[in-house]
Amino acid sequence: MRILVVDDEADLLDALSRGLRREGYAVDTVDNGEEALAKASWTPYDLICLDLTMQGIDGLEVCARLRAEPPGGVAPRILMLTARDTLEDRIRGLDVGADDYLVKPFAFDELTARIRTLLRRDSGRSGAVLEVGDVVVDTARHHASRAGRELGLTAKEFAVLRYFMTRPGEVLSQEQLLDHVWDEHADPFTNTVRVTVGTLRRKLTVGDEEPALETVVGSGYRLFDPDAVRDLDGESDQ
Amino acid sequence: MNRSGVGLANRMPDRFGSLRTRLALLYSIVLFVLAAVMVGAIYLSLSRALSDEPMSRLARFERLATDTAQTSEVESASLVPDERPSRPWLVIFEEEVNLRALERLRSYSFTALAGLFLGSLLVGWYVAGLVLRPIGRISAVAREITATDLSRRIDLGGPSDELRDLADTFDEMLGRLDESFEGQRRFVAEASHELRNPLAVLRTNLDVVMADPESGPEDFRAAGVVALRAAERMSVLVDDLLLYAHHERPDATREALDLAVVVAETVEDFGAAAGRVGVSLELVERTGLTVLADAAALRRAVANLLSNAIRVSGSGGSIQISTGGDDDLVWVSVVDDGPGITAEHLDHVFQRFWRGDRSSTREAGRSGLGLAIVRQIAEGHGGRATVRSTPGEGATFTVWLPRYVSRVVARRERV
Repeated sequence: MRILVVDDEADLLDALSRGLRREGYAVDTVDNGEEALAKASWTPYDLICLDLTMQGIDGLEVCARLRAEPPGGVAPRILMLTARDTLEDRIRGLDVGADDYLVKPFAFDELTARIRTLLRRDSGRSGAVLEVGDVVVDTARHHASRAGRELGLTAKEFAVLRYFMTRPGEVLSQEQLLDHVWDEHADPFTNTVRVTVGTLRRKLTVGDEEPALETVVGSGYRLFDPDAVRDLDGESDQ
Repeated sequence: MNRSGVGLANRMPDRFGSLRTRLALLYSIVLFVLAAVMVGAIYLSLSRALSDEPMSRLARFERLATDTAQTSEVESASLVPDERPSRPWLVIFEEEVNLRALERLRSYSFTALAGLFLGSLLVGWYVAGLVLRPIGRISAVAREITATDLSRRIDLGGPSDELRDLADTFDEMLGRLDESFEGQRRFVAEASHELRNPLAVLRTNLDVVMADPESGPEDFRAAGVVALRAAERMSVLVDDLLLYAHHERPDATREALDLAVVVAETVEDFGAAAGRVGVSLELVERTGLTVLADAAALRRAVANLLSNAIRVSGSGGSIQISTGGDDDLVWVSVVDDGPGITAEHLDHVFQRFWRGDRSSTREAGRSGLGLAIVRQIAEGHGGRATVRSTPGEGATFTVWLPRYVSRVVARRERV
């Protein structure tokens, strides 16, 4: 999950990016609206945390432009962070296309909870706990297990698994993973994606367990989805 | 017993305290007294006229009176000796008639007066109610108005009389209150917005570093530095907010003082601070610029202009401060050689919480109220604050104040 944080307070930006990285998100930061639009146009962010009051292009404008012309056809989720708390401000923010609205100062835990909620909307699941087959990922508590066995993942591995869990059965390319799980500082020419997926796969499957993460030669990786397989079986029966 | 007595005493003024009752009573009593005096006067003059000029004295009736008197005198003398021998019967008859007529008049008058009193009480009650009805409306609206909703108006129609005037005055007052409450509300909203930003920085930094079990002493130190910065920003902001709120009420004591002296003192105070950042201050003064002002406020205005100029000038810059004036106005102007202000921003520089470049100025610990306070002080003294600027060459901020001419001086000049 890749997040762009836009705020003109350098100190807030630092703290937010540090905290969100620790939550396993890939985080990019900018301190003005112009750069935010530029970055969003070439990176498919999953979520943008947007400050409302900025000099030049403000948050409302950024939000409106992203909604009017979504980069790559898919507009990212937008969470507005702002010190303006009047009813009119909230309504205007939501009307212009924000998915959620959080008033400063906020508890960091509330921010992460809202981010989880917003990111879940894509996968159509409602809780913080994602389940695919016997793999269970608790996104709130940072807990991943398979058949009751604690996996002990690093933050990056956890982020990769979480991204796979929101798209079970879908083939995800290295570029997609790089776009959504790594931030702008990742070097696209190293094999960091391959290495991380490799260690994740080893932790997911021990002994004679069924392999959970498979490589689709030439296109990427896929999380084994027993539900999807069952559906396919049902269709083939008829 | 005692309580009921007190209760009665308390209730009495209530009942008679109603303006309507009092008006009706007063009206009736005055009318009654006037009518009584008039009827009494008519009665008295009539009775006096009747007794002064009896009909029987008129020449036409003189003989008849004496004739009958003589005959009756003989008869009566024989019958009742020495009893009222000189009063003829006609006179007695006339007196009797007059007495009856006066009695009739008296009783009619009393009845008429009683009726008049009752009637006037009713009419007075009705008319007073009619006249006082708009007051009921005014107080009903006033009762509905709370400090949070000042949008209601009495909006009394009808002829433009005293009560309409009262209602209109009331409406105007509500309008002014509404405006000032609205301004106050906006100010509080803006101030809380400004305070929330550093608060968010503080809270998020602490949240993040505390929640991370791997945070080391270095992380805590870094968070502490950020927290200090945020706290510094908040305290500057709170100080300026208090100043701004203070200068909003022009209640400070004013004294006649020389603007040039105040400016010179303030420039001297800033000498060291300017020297530290490598900015030179140059003062061109013309003394004898008397203004009626609050010295502390004036010093604050000049200080804010100076610190703004020093901030934008940066190292190696030079600032010119000059004072001057004509017959009506005196001015102090501060010229910096900073980057200047573009035309689109010129209108905003005196707005509270406006900052040319947010991210860079915030770090310098500014509240965004400095120039707003300057304008507020200038306007509070009946003057104004202006700015001119050529982008790339610097800006000129000027505070204009009305010149103070004391009456003694004015008289001396005339002589």
